[in-house]
Amino acid sequence: MRFSPANAMARGLSPLMRMGKKYGLEWWILLIGAVIILAIIIMAIFPGAFAPFNPHDQNTGPQLLPPGGSHLMGTDNLHRDVWSRIVYGSQTIMRIAILAAILSSFSGISLGLISGFSGGILDRILSLIMDSVYVFPGLILAIAFAAMFGPGVFNITLAVAVIYIPTYFRLVRGQTLSIKEELYVEAARSIGASNFTILWKYIFPNVIATTVVVFTLNVADAIMIEAALTYLGLGLPPSIVDWGMDLAMGKKFLPSGQWWLITFPGAMISILALGFTMLGEGLAEILNPRLLER
Amino acid sequence: MRILKLFLFCMLMVTLAFLPGQSFAKETLVYATTEKVIDLDPANAYDFHTWEIFYNIYQGLLRYPPGKTDLVPGLAKSYDISSDGKEYTFKLRKGLKFTDGTPFDASAVKWSIDRVMALKGDPSWLVTDFVDHVDVVDTYAVKFVLKNPVSYFPSLVASCPYYPVNPNIYPKDKIIRDPSELKGGKLVGLGPYKVVSFKRDQEIVMEVNPNFYGEKPKNDRVVIRYFADATTMRLSLEKGEVDFVFKTLNPSDISDLEKSAKVQVIKAQGPYIRYICFLCDSPPFKDKVLRQAVAAAINRPPLLEKVFLGQNAPLYSMVPMGMWSHIDAFKTAFGDGNIAKSKKLLASRGYTESKKFEFALWYTPSHYGDTEVDVAAVLKNQLEATGVMKVDVKSAEWATYRDNWKNKVMPAYLLGWYPDYIDPDNYTAAFAGTAGSRGIGINFSDPAWDKMFVQGQTETDMKKRTSLYEKIQQMWTDEVPTTTIFQGTLYLFAQKNIRGILLSPTLQFNYGPIHKVK
Amino acid sequence: MRNLTRYIITRVLLTIPMVLILLSILFVVLRLTPGDPVSAMLGGHAPERVIEQKKEELGLNRPMVIQYLDYLWQVCRLDLGESMVFKQRVTTAIAEKLPATIELTFFGLIITLFLGVFMGAYAADRRRQIQDSAIRLYGIVVYCIPVYWMGLMLQLTFGIWLDILPIAGRTGPRVFASTFEKTGFYILDTILVRDFSALGDVMIHLILPSFTLGLVLSGIFVRLTRANMLDVLRADYIIAAEARGIRHRKIVYKHALKNAFIPILTMMGLQVALLMAGAVLTETTFSWPGMGRLLLERIYLRDYPTIQGTIIVFALIVASVSLIVDIIYAIVDPRIRY
Repeated sequence: MRFSPANAMARGLSPLMRMGKKYGLEWWILLIGAVIILAIIIMAIFPGAFAPFNPHDQNTGPQLLPPGGSHLMGTDNLHRDVWSRIVYGSQTIMRIAILAAILSSFSGISLGLISGFSGGILDRILSLIMDSVYVFPGLILAIAFAAMFGPGVFNITLAVAVIYIPTYFRLVRGQTLSIKEELYVEAARSIGASNFTILWKYIFPNVIATTVVVFTLNVADAIMIEAALTYLGLGLPPSIVDWGMDLAMGKKFLPSGQWWLITFPGAMISILALGFTMLGEGLAEILNPRLLER
Repeated sequence: MRILKLFLFCMLMVTLAFLPGQSFAKETLVYATTEKVIDLDPANAYDFHTWEIFYNIYQGLLRYPPGKTDLVPGLAKSYDISSDGKEYTFKLRKGLKFTDGTPFDASAVKWSIDRVMALKGDPSWLVTDFVDHVDVVDTYAVKFVLKNPVSYFPSLVASCPYYPVNPNIYPKDKIIRDPSELKGGKLVGLGPYKVVSFKRDQEIVMEVNPNFYGEKPKNDRVVIRYFADATTMRLSLEKGEVDFVFKTLNPSDISDLEKSAKVQVIKAQGPYIRYICFLCDSPPFKDKVLRQAVAAAINRPPLLEKVFLGQNAPLYSMVPMGMWSHIDAFKTAFGDGNIAKSKKLLASRGYTESKKFEFALWYTPSHYGDTEVDVAAVLKNQLEATGVMKVDVKSAEWATYRDNWKNKVMPAYLLGWYPDYIDPDNYTAAFAGTAGSRGIGINFSDPAWDKMFVQGQTETDMKKRTSLYEKIQQMWTDEVPTTTIFQGTLYLFAQKNIRGILLSPTLQFNYGPIHKVK
Repeated sequence: MRNLTRYIITRVLLTIPMVLILLSILFVVLRLTPGDPVSAMLGGHAPERVIEQKKEELGLNRPMVIQYLDYLWQVCRLDLGESMVFKQRVTTAIAEKLPATIELTFFGLIITLFLGVFMGAYAADRRRQIQDSAIRLYGIVVYCIPVYWMGLMLQLTFGIWLDILPIAGRTGPRVFASTFEKTGFYILDTILVRDFSALGDVMIHLILPSFTLGLVLSGIFVRLTRANMLDVLRADYIIAAEARGIRHRKIVYKHALKNAFIPILTMMGLQVALLMAGAVLTETTFSWPGMGRLLLERIYLRDYPTIQGTIIVFALIVASVSLIVDIIYAIVDPRIRY
């Protein structure tokens, strides 16, 4: 067989196709999700390759120009290029969402491990606090926190992170409680392993697997919460390009027919959230088909 | 399943049954706005929309006629000033009665002023800072004794906290929020209209007051509809559901409506000004040369073009256009976007392209509308266009802003001003007088300036006052405690058949002359 | 039955620490937030001493612990206090806004349920077929659309381009709420006074906001219904019914769906929080005068009592809905023991 790009591609793709046959829809969902995320990550890392203008440049062309020609997605009222702002905006939202998910997973997992393992009064108090926060509408809490912390990238990240701690806490605590009773943990204890060793070596590795799925879904949620906060105006200074802020700014042009100012930033938020959700759903179904159906 | 059917049925009913709303026999004007009424009590109301309603249901001792900026007699026929300038005696109109029969006389005026002073409501300082006490001279003469001579006292008397209210229906010791808390439950004053129904954030219905002494309004009823957002308000004007809209539409809506053939636009210079404040007693802006450099670099027309689609007017002095003594001071001193001058000034302080002058410019994101973030972004671009400045734009909610200026964390910040009374004093001493300046975070203090402000406050000769304020505006471009950006233009849009709308920089908007033509 | 009563009492008692914890977190968060209600209202114009005097009157200069205990005592007496910004009882403000939010969420929920349950059941019936895949994809995609953007796009399409539906508010400008308002639930009010043109106006104003909320949340219900239906459809009695030759359609949409509905109902209880968050965002997009807008407005003004009152009401709604759902579940399914 002679080498040709088509052949090479077919050969490269064949394992993917095989997996697709094996797992069906789940596999495709996972794959599409991964591709979306990858594409937006590349965009965020090399914005210069995609954006023709500086996102703050107020002289890219006429004011409020509809999409087309040299302005793929048109211009806004400050003569800025919407597409370039979309490209640079991907950095902000990705950074905040992922960092928030890392922060909340880190604190949620550690608290969950400690609480589940130690039990007693600490466990009861922590559980009560976490449950109270868990059942309350997260966005509303995030609004209060964002208002307190004031505008800024890190402050928004914190506000988003706080509301997801209970999700990890509950998951990890529950698992810790059951794993703690397992025979091998008992065995480790009987040979004199310290509490820390037991937590770190025996419990943590068993808990971490399920949190991966939750983490991915959490990033998707964090994306939407971050955009919601900046859309509500509780967020970032204008020196930072952000999709939610652009959406809020475009909102006032709705009746004048400048549809591109709201359509594109909103679509991008949806697509990015969709990427992470699809990845998470796909992972969940493949790793543990019953997880999400329950 | 049954519920679904029912639901769909209801939806169908709706589409079939929907009829345009009620119609009125009397001539009713529907006025749409996005403003809010806070408290319907002259002792506590401190916002221009509530004041506007008061202009129509009450009357001051002195008043501004529709569309004019000079005072004419209102409930008072005339007044005398004592030679030391500290006593103002008003001769009241005779034979006026509140609707319940209570006569309007000097004791009613004294009662109302005493009530405002005792209740200590939000705007009460407009009385207490100036008035020492009020004396009843005789039934139809009342004397205000001031703490210090104040040359603009007549314009204070025309403001809402000075409005006489009916002593028999207003509670003496309580601020009322709703007409329902009044004795009798009806809000009736001595003005051309009375309030017949009030539904907070939804509507106010006003009808002509039959007991009004002055010219009868040309319509029977005015309904103010409160809209939660500008977009819906604009659409409902275009659909003909409201007769006119006033305050506040988005720039994009204004620009569309101005082009529309379906509605008419009424424009007027507003009293509202926007400017950048500098923290004058701390580095970096302790140095007036740096303040001058910022003032030189900003470019007003393109800013208005970008952010407000060309609306509003560039402003070159703290005293607004349309007010006596206004001069285009900043225009002659710096011009617009004078990058060469800005660079030169910065160079004299050792700043170059490699060693940039860095500072933070603050704005507040919702208090001045959602265009504010754009104003900040454009200013940043214009200042950085010099190549010698690097601006870090920061924001804080309004509730935090004041703490920030008290704690001196904002070197430069955007503010806006609606006047408390119509006089150049309120546009100058409030910013550069030692006391006023501290209250607003500028912390500018200069004994020579303070002396001039006192002179302006006490001088009664109009010519001397004018030249004094012109001089202050000149000095402003040297010291630059603030640098002005623009003055708000009032935009009112009405249906084509509406006549008689007169806007004025005093924001006294009278409903009386408005009517429909066939 | 005695068990159930005890369970209900325990659950009700358990909501108290929950509300208390949320309130405490919020109290601390708000007082640490820079800015205060007096500055928010008077900042800029009134002289410094006026502001200080007002703060003193409102008790804002006392130590935080005292303010906190004072507030708790007040709440214990079921008093939410008075707004620090407007002369208004917090309960009045909430009573004005709550019906609007409930009306919106109620219709949003109905739309969600119909879309979600029927699509989910259909997908389960057509398991592993193209319809199933399409509906599952719909569920995922619709879940990822931010509710405010969905609202904006619907406004753009139906309000601006097609120009057939109003895009904001609860009534049109020529319909006067004061002529019919009694309970605050406008649909109910207009029916009570038999003002059908106003009813029509109120209903067309509800269409876009409730559809926005309903569409976005339907994704979750598609998934829940599908999963539950899959379980039920595998059950013996369904297979038996099938064997007896009952029409397939009837089996799926009557018998199976009825049985799958109870777990769906309990899941619904868990989604109330999501529904509330969705409502807050829908309200801002559609200028709907409800609790969400109240909360946001007052956060900007730092109106502490109103913010705290609003949060308490939200917490109570979430707690009571999940309680009601649990009770219904316990009554409907006698196998559950507490």
